Amino acid sequence: MRSSISSSSADQGQSPRLTASDRPGVAQPVPVRDIPQQPWARILLGALLLLVAATGAWEWYWRAYGAVPSYRDDDALWARQRRRIDAGEGSATVLVGSSRTLFDIQLPVWERLSGRRPIQLALDGTSPASFVEDLAADPKFTGRLLIGIAPDLFFSGFEYQRSALPYYRKESPSQRVGKVLSMHLIEPWFAFYDPDFALMTVLRRQPWPERAGLNRMSVRQLEVMDADRNDHMWSKVVTDAAYRQMARNIWAQDFDGPPETDAEKAEDQRVLDAQIERTAAAVAKLRARGVTVVFVRDPSAGAYLAFENKYFPRAATWDVLLAKSGVPGIHFQDYPELQGYDLPEWSHMTQESADRYTTALYNIIAKRVPPTDGSRW
Amino acid sequence: MVFNTLTFLAFFAIVLVLHSLPLPWTIRKVNLLLASYVFYAAWNPPFILLLWISTIVDWYAAQGLVRADRPATRRAWMLLSVIANLGMLLYFKYGTFLLDNFTALMATLGLHYQAPKSDIILPVGISFYTFATMSYTLDVYLRRALPARSFLDYALFVTFFPHLVAGPIMRPTELVPQFETPRRASRQQLCFGLGLMTLGLFNKVVLADTFLAGAAERVFDRGQAPGLLDAWTGTLAFSAQIFCDFAGYSTTAIGTALCLGFAMPDNFRFPYAAIGFSDFWRRWHITLSSWLRDYLYIPLGGNRHGPLRTHIALMTTMLLGGLWHGANWTFVVWGGLHGSYLIAERRLRAAFANYRPGLLGLFGLALLTYFLINITWVFFRAKDFQTAWMVLRGMAGLNAAAEPIVPTPFIVSTGVVVTALVATHWAMRERTLESMLARVPAPVIACAWGLMAFAIVISQGSGNAFIYFQF
Repeated sequence: MRSSISSSSADQGQSPRLTASDRPGVAQPVPVRDIPQQPWARILLGALLLLVAATGAWEWYWRAYGAVPSYRDDDALWARQRRRIDAGEGSATVLVGSSRTLFDIQLPVWERLSGRRPIQLALDGTSPASFVEDLAADPKFTGRLLIGIAPDLFFSGFEYQRSALPYYRKESPSQRVGKVLSMHLIEPWFAFYDPDFALMTVLRRQPWPERAGLNRMSVRQLEVMDADRNDHMWSKVVTDAAYRQMARNIWAQDFDGPPETDAEKAEDQRVLDAQIERTAAAVAKLRARGVTVVFVRDPSAGAYLAFENKYFPRAATWDVLLAKSGVPGIHFQDYPELQGYDLPEWSHMTQESADRYTTALYNIIAKRVPPTDGSRW
Repeated sequence: MVFNTLTFLAFFAIVLVLHSLPLPWTIRKVNLLLASYVFYAAWNPPFILLLWISTIVDWYAAQGLVRADRPATRRAWMLLSVIANLGMLLYFKYGTFLLDNFTALMATLGLHYQAPKSDIILPVGISFYTFATMSYTLDVYLRRALPARSFLDYALFVTFFPHLVAGPIMRPTELVPQFETPRRASRQQLCFGLGLMTLGLFNKVVLADTFLAGAAERVFDRGQAPGLLDAWTGTLAFSAQIFCDFAGYSTTAIGTALCLGFAMPDNFRFPYAAIGFSDFWRRWHITLSSWLRDYLYIPLGGNRHGPLRTHIALMTTMLLGGLWHGANWTFVVWGGLHGSYLIAERRLRAAFANYRPGLLGLFGLALLTYFLINITWVFFRAKDFQTAWMVLRGMAGLNAAAEPIVPTPFIVSTGVVVTALVATHWAMRERTLESMLARVPAPVIACAWGLMAFAIVISQGSGNAFIYFQF
């Protein structure tokens, strides 16, 4: 009897082997698979050696560039933190917001001051409004909520990582296991494993001829993340002047656009009002449940601050949000101790600054917005 | 569980170890069955119930078919299997589609009907395992095969994880006999199987997801009218993406089975070298096209009752084949186009029976085939007809004021991959991968294998699901 898997000589397979398409209307037989006559074990060994050597060289290249291993801030990592509330930590302090909340608030410093490590749910480039609504709808959350406000993201409703919430709700067992494996086998060890160093991302950054309107630069790697999403600025942004300038240039792409039409201005205002309304409604629900809430406007600087002041003036945005929600807010411009930090690319703090800023911010919040249940932030 | 994830690598390593332990064959088959259930449950555990229902219904239907004496009783058992399987498929895959169309029909008749909001989740792979398990009862009904002697072998045929969720669509006669005798891969088979898995994942992770998906997404998903260059780039990118994605899955599945000592059939045979559409369908998704031919086209009369009946059978088969891919009229149009192509080809072959094209003529016909197939991919990829017409207008150069959509690197990557892919299909048109590999020096294979694995690693795929999972 012929085996269904056979070794073939070089002469076999000159004409394609038969498939079901060649045998109409009959029971299909056991398929035949040829194994080409080659020293496959030695070939596999050679391929493995090449893979190890090439991967090692790739890792060395990125290490030389300044990269360090970092946990990947994907939907799965966010979902792990979000699930802590489901798993009995609903009385914790939770941080939502955008990248400034991630970079500027250091969890170890906060933990040292309050005795409890907050749950970090802020997301890069993403308005927190949807996440505030999610927490408002979850009766298991009864702790304290810090909502970071980056004006250009919050009041425009922009959500770069909008997929985090649906992912958390529908994450499959396979995805969950995959993240655990990745967090143990890959992320702590390999610096090259970062979306900014992925093959197509690197290729796209090469000096290709540009097509009109498609020359926009994407945000580059700026941060290093821990397993519990404690985050800090990547040292390259601090030490490499060219890289820092590139980061500034990327932000500056948004600073000067063509003048808006009246219709566009009206649409912007509608979105802004909607963001404030939905956030105020969610916050009211949280406060009714005994959750203490505070808004925080973290520092920005230079051209970024000028852009925010121009397009999202405080009186038309921040002040309206506080008035409509009735929630206390901490604006960095109101407190001398929240000013004077080092923001290399105008938007986020260095780690050293973030440590000091966290201490100052915590002390202000603890004093100005004491939790209603007598607990500590 | 998706092949291109760490979870699958860990799972497969465990399965390989268990399968190589010196345990009785029945125990090792039970291990494979349990592993297959874990593989499926890793998406959404409750849907494993559907698998069990399908398995049990068809097992008893086949037993009933064998015991039945009267044709009416045999037909009843066959219908029980067909209705149970297609019923589940209809509910989960087409329930919302049917309700939406019913609502639209009522509206056109001036009747207001608001269907209750449904939130039906499509169980992964239901179209594939439904067809696999139906072929079991249908083969028994058509007296092409005897039922499996062992329930374990039959359950493992339905559930065997390499083919479970996206094929190749196995027939019971292809797989059940392989479960009857102990199997373990030799070192050669294991190594070659790993090589096939690497090749499949390279197709998926590097070519489909990294180099091609970006252009297709920009053209088809942004609602922006594309110009000539962008429309063709997006469509060609998708034509290569869908091949690399699906053929990549099939190759990985075949390699996975080979590592365990089992043989699975080819699902693709270099389809972009097809000359004509009957040739294309002998090369593209072979296990589906042959399934539709054996269980739909031939029972509808095939080519046995004159040209008109043949054309009706062809068109019906292709329209339903289109609908099999998704609950959307765009898929029906895709199938309808292929049906029209096949009918036109039959008529042309009859009209020019003595025409024997030379090499240049063959190349021209192949290019025409590839061009017309690309037209069908527009309907396959577009979410709605508005998008499809917009892209087709762009391909015809009729979107005059279109802004650029696809950045240069994606145009370059699409051009390089599509050219290389079509050239490879032409070079391999009359050959198999195995016959080619047998002639290549071992160091070259090792280098190519190592570089493919390296490209997979540095592409950093995010475990995107294979396109055909949604079907």
